[in-house]
Amino acid sequence: MAQSNLEKQLNILDYALSSLWRHRLKSLSVLLVFAAVIFLLASFQMVTQALSDKAKQVLTHTPEITLQKMSAGRQEAIPLAYRDKLAGIFGIRRVVPRIWGYYFDEVRLANSTVMGMAVDEMPEGNRLDAALAKGAMPGPDEQGRVVVGHSITKALDLAGRTTFSLFRPDLSLKPFEVSGEFSRDTDILTNDLIVMNLADARDLFSIPAGLVTDLCVYVANPKEIDTIAKKISETLPSVRVLTRPQIQKTYQVVFGWRSGFGSICLLSALAAFVILAWDKASGLSPEERREIAILKVLGWETSDILAVRFWESVIVSGLACLVGMTAAYIHVVYCAAALFRPVLMGWSVLRPDLHLLPRMAVGDILLIFAFTVIPYLAATVIPAWRSATVPADSALGG
Amino acid sequence: MLIELSGVSKIYNQGRANEVRALSDIDLTVEQGCMVCLKGPSGSGKSTLLAIIGCIFPPTSGRAAIAERQLARLPDRFLTLHRRETIGFIFQRFNILPELTVLENITLPLLPLGVPPKERRQRAQELLKRFGITHRAQFPAGQISGGELQRVAIARALINNQPIILADEPTAHLDTGLSREFMAIMLQLKEAGKTIVIASHDPLVFEHPAIDRTVTIKDGRIHVP
Repeated sequence: MAQSNLEKQLNILDYALSSLWRHRLKSLSVLLVFAAVIFLLASFQMVTQALSDKAKQVLTHTPEITLQKMSAGRQEAIPLAYRDKLAGIFGIRRVVPRIWGYYFDEVRLANSTVMGMAVDEMPEGNRLDAALAKGAMPGPDEQGRVVVGHSITKALDLAGRTTFSLFRPDLSLKPFEVSGEFSRDTDILTNDLIVMNLADARDLFSIPAGLVTDLCVYVANPKEIDTIAKKISETLPSVRVLTRPQIQKTYQVVFGWRSGFGSICLLSALAAFVILAWDKASGLSPEERREIAILKVLGWETSDILAVRFWESVIVSGLACLVGMTAAYIHVVYCAAALFRPVLMGWSVLRPDLHLLPRMAVGDILLIFAFTVIPYLAATVIPAWRSATVPADSALGG
Repeated sequence: MLIELSGVSKIYNQGRANEVRALSDIDLTVEQGCMVCLKGPSGSGKSTLLAIIGCIFPPTSGRAAIAERQLARLPDRFLTLHRRETIGFIFQRFNILPELTVLENITLPLLPLGVPPKERRQRAQELLKRFGITHRAQFPAGQISGGELQRVAIARALINNQPIILADEPTAHLDTGLSREFMAIMLQLKEAGKTIVIASHDPLVFEHPAIDRTVTIKDGRIHVP
């Protein structure tokens, strides 16, 4: 009995395959449109996942607490003297000054991030060299030496030379020499970054002595970040205190928001497709009615005809899912998600040129499957019930 | 009796405004190995009677027993199962699916029975050989001649070796030569022990010597001249 049931299902599957082949133009059109919708959704899912992972991974190297002075709701330079006020807070390991800002290159219409760091003062500052593909971070005495991100190398066309100049606010030129390049693994944060020592950054932005843009606080016990941040807020009420977990959360929210917005647009496309599939499945051509009536007279049950429709839908949606997800993986890994980069990464003029490797968990695959294949199956099999109940006697004459 | 109808009536859309009485008080018995012709004009109720004999639906009232099974007592699903085992159908215009090959058309009734592909091909090949159309096995049915199409339809009705063959206006769209050929095959089947009921108003059928009995249907009733 079980063997016979298996044979019956195999026969019905065989008939469904032959039916798809007979209507190959229609089947192929549905498959391609469906695969395109799945490709867009899966690409979005994969790129968001990969970006979030990458941001999380890179942000682990940032200071545990960052302090910025606020005045009238806007950020302004923070006095170095604030370091002394923090000295009494137990648990602070070190307070390191930093200058960062944006440099707009009017010739290339590109924005880059400039960061002046006191690497020698940072705990484990020597570990920053691990983020470099070549060279070393500039020391406090190495005037005019910089480490640059990948797109800076490209934008300044530094392939054949190691020197370039940037304008000070008074339009005088300040020369620099590239002493290192960041690794591509850190592209998401360093792609448009120029790192120099604190003195060079102060000189480039003409920031007066005794002021910096922010203070980086390193703590002895990472579990006490929130407690120490609270104490700093109480000690320096005019200072904005940003903790690393907060920054990580902000990145996740930004990517999540952008991804959510894109997903809603794409789910609308999917909904339109499913409605179209429903509409198609609920209407029957005279040829289809005739075929069903003939099959029923020949001994096919309504459930057999539904099984044919089910297998047809499973084959089309399964293939579309496979094609769409494979194409999405290729799009994200080999084309760096070219279609969605402007939506997901567009905060600087220099677009990060990322090498993304999506971490596709079983849950993600099931999620895409649930949002695509199941609605399609429902949209095709449920209305097929109506078509499968065509009376057998309609195959007979009057 | 292989077919036994007693006081059979069929009313479509019973109790509604569009109620239609298709058959009234039909008594009919057909013994095994007989060939009976249901004769009558279009709309007389021949196809409805054929549908009841063919276990497509039960009568509204009356007693219908096909191959010793009471149809009125069988739920839809069992009507289908009984039809699979008992009835071979030959349709008007043969109702062959033109995009399927000849072999696929013939084996269609075997798919829901779970007959494995090898056995399906073997059974179909035997029938193709018997009707002289082996060379057409892999042809799309839409590309073969009318005579070959007719033999494919008969082969399909015989593939599960059912004891009863029902034919609905089988010669309505055939020329005289093909109609004669059809009746010759029916004669062979009758001689092989099949019980055959043909609904037709073609004289070439109801006047054929192989027909044991002609039953005239008029306005849903058996007409006695």
